[in-house]
Amino acid sequence: MGEEHKTNLSEIMELGKLNELRNLIVGLNHQELIRLQNLIRDPHVFAEEISELLPYSVRKLIEKGELTVDSLQPFIEDAMHKSIQKNPKKLADILFPIMGPAIRKAVSEDLKRMIAAVNANLEAGLSPQSFKWRLQALLSKRSYTEILLANTYIFHVSHVFLIHRETGILLNQEIAADSADLESDMISGMLTAIRDFVQDSFKNAASQSLDVVQVGDLNILIEQGPNAIVAAIVEGQPPADYRLTLSETVEAVHFNHALELEKFDGQTKVFIHTSKFLKNCLQKQKKEKKSNVPWPLIFLLAVILGVIFWFTYLNIESKKRFHTFVEKLDELPGYHITKTEKKNRTFFVYGLRDFQAGAFDTLLLQSRFDSNRLKVHLEPYISIEPAMVLKRATEIINPSSSVVLNYAEGNLYLSGVASEEWVKKAFENVHRIYGVTNLDISQLNQKTDMPQPDLGWIIPAIEKYIFIFELNIVSLTAEQQQQFDSLVQAAVHLGEYNNQNNKKMAIYVRSYTSRTGNVDANMRVAVRRAESFVGLLKDAGLQDDLLEAQVLFTEDITVSQMLRSVRFEVFEK
Amino acid sequence: MLKKKIAMLGAFAVGKTSLVQRYVHSIFSERYQTTIGVKIDQKNLRIHDADVTLMLWDLYGDDDFMKMKPSYLIGSSGYLLVADGTRSETFNVALRLHEMARETTKDAPFILLINKSDLSDSWEIEQETLNRLEQKGWKIMLTSAKDGIMVEEAFNLLTQMILEKK
Repeated sequence: MGEEHKTNLSEIMELGKLNELRNLIVGLNHQELIRLQNLIRDPHVFAEEISELLPYSVRKLIEKGELTVDSLQPFIEDAMHKSIQKNPKKLADILFPIMGPAIRKAVSEDLKRMIAAVNANLEAGLSPQSFKWRLQALLSKRSYTEILLANTYIFHVSHVFLIHRETGILLNQEIAADSADLESDMISGMLTAIRDFVQDSFKNAASQSLDVVQVGDLNILIEQGPNAIVAAIVEGQPPADYRLTLSETVEAVHFNHALELEKFDGQTKVFIHTSKFLKNCLQKQKKEKKSNVPWPLIFLLAVILGVIFWFTYLNIESKKRFHTFVEKLDELPGYHITKTEKKNRTFFVYGLRDFQAGAFDTLLLQSRFDSNRLKVHLEPYISIEPAMVLKRATEIINPSSSVVLNYAEGNLYLSGVASEEWVKKAFENVHRIYGVTNLDISQLNQKTDMPQPDLGWIIPAIEKYIFIFELNIVSLTAEQQQQFDSLVQAAVHLGEYNNQNNKKMAIYVRSYTSRTGNVDANMRVAVRRAESFVGLLKDAGLQDDLLEAQVLFTEDITVSQMLRSVRFEVFEK
Repeated sequence: MLKKKIAMLGAFAVGKTSLVQRYVHSIFSERYQTTIGVKIDQKNLRIHDADVTLMLWDLYGDDDFMKMKPSYLIGSSGYLLVADGTRSETFNVALRLHEMARETTKDAPFILLINKSDLSDSWEIEQETLNRLEQKGWKIMLTSAKDGIMVEEAFNLLTQMILEKK
């Protein structure tokens, strides 16, 4: 036993020496040698060991310039080429999350410009579409704006489904707050079946797939990814960039759940986290119609301003006509206006009127002021205006046409030729003439036993003519002028006739017109005709008080008269 | 929630639609089968305390006028092969469809349903044929959509097979 123990001890000592010797020669201990041995014998372990060093080694080689990117390029390109040839879908799936944003970025600017241009055209309202909508608005009795919004800008996404592409199973869904629940599982399945059906039936390439299903105003927009589909149920027409939202959602889902989608075994719980992406698709957009010019408001204001302007104009015009009438009335002999006022819509005139002053009806007619809005309150008085005194004097002393009367500061001046008898009567009656304190006959040539020609012929000579005018014509023709001259020759003797017969005969100048057509216009022309004749007779020497103009409507008289005619009638005042 | 796609396969008029009609929730009209070739129904089950939703793709019966579209089978977790026990030719159609389905679904679980078991007088499929298939590991059930025999059980069994395979 003791011998055996000694032998073992010496063996251990020998081994220790051997290890020491190995350490000195190789520089490695026993464990390290065993590890190296294992590394060489087991290719898996060796490969793992090398794999840790390999990237580092490659980097070092590139840094040293012993290996260049150019020298690696053919190998990488070959590998990719073979991979694409073998299974192009694989590389497409790998690149899918990167390609989307890259392509989008490139086209988004162009798309934005295009959308802006289309919008501008729509705003301008000159496109055939806008005319169609205008027609639609007209037929449906809805406003154009309503039709435009319904067709272009309003859309509402009610449901968004995330569907597994291969099985058609609904992975997740989001429903808008105000939308009804649908049988989403079955709809998802059916949608997938329809997609497959379309693809099979029309032998489309895999890249060409069913993108939209349209049912009336309802659109189901489908955006496909390699393993999942996003389907959005949209009421109305979504804007062009909504498709981008769906596309981004598909990408986000694939990026975050690539493994779960590829290895899908029916478990949908894991896709609950896709809700945040799907919710982005639940959009409801109601774009206001941009209009820089509020036309309806402007139209309303224009109508209101128009009405205000019209009433203001009428008011100003009425006032203007009223003041013209009052001014002319005040200038008339025998009238004196003291006050005017307006109460509500009625104009009041207060003043004085000589009882011998003429009527103001013609004046009112000429001023074109509405007589229904006029109230005239005139107190009687005696005017000593020269015109009124002369009128009064003429009435009282009744001078012949050969006597001329003038009045100034209480003196009545007589001139011309008169009989002694008549002068005597004038002196007897002068005290009856208000305003006359003295009768001056220094310029009067008094004659006794003046011949008395028979002037009985003048009345038929005055009344025999009738002057007929064309429409709107006032002037006389050459033939009428001759007739009128004959009439004047008779008329100038009327004053003399009155003296001779001690009468107060005067001439009515009657202008006839009709109520047919524009009454005001008819009246104006008739007045002008009458005034024209009166003026001509005055020019011939006839005194004012021997003439009286009248305008008569043929409808108002019993005796038939020619329209647009003027006749003369001698009457006793 | 676990959701599985199940396909119903079989010849024309073997009673696939009748089999599912009373046991599933349906919103689509049967005319979809004759237009796009499939109608999708839903069946909710509870197996081993787990809620499972079966999406049943009731495919148009394969006949001379219209062929079944294989693309509808893609992604199915299992399928029910249906044959009419009173028409032996439907059994052959079922076998042919099975070959197609096996390939597309990568050997998904399935059950062969021999329907119209209530019409035993005009039965055409021999028991020996069925026994041979059972020996090869096929699950076969005799069903009657008319009387509701073994229909619910068929759905339950298929679901169970799918879950076990998983």
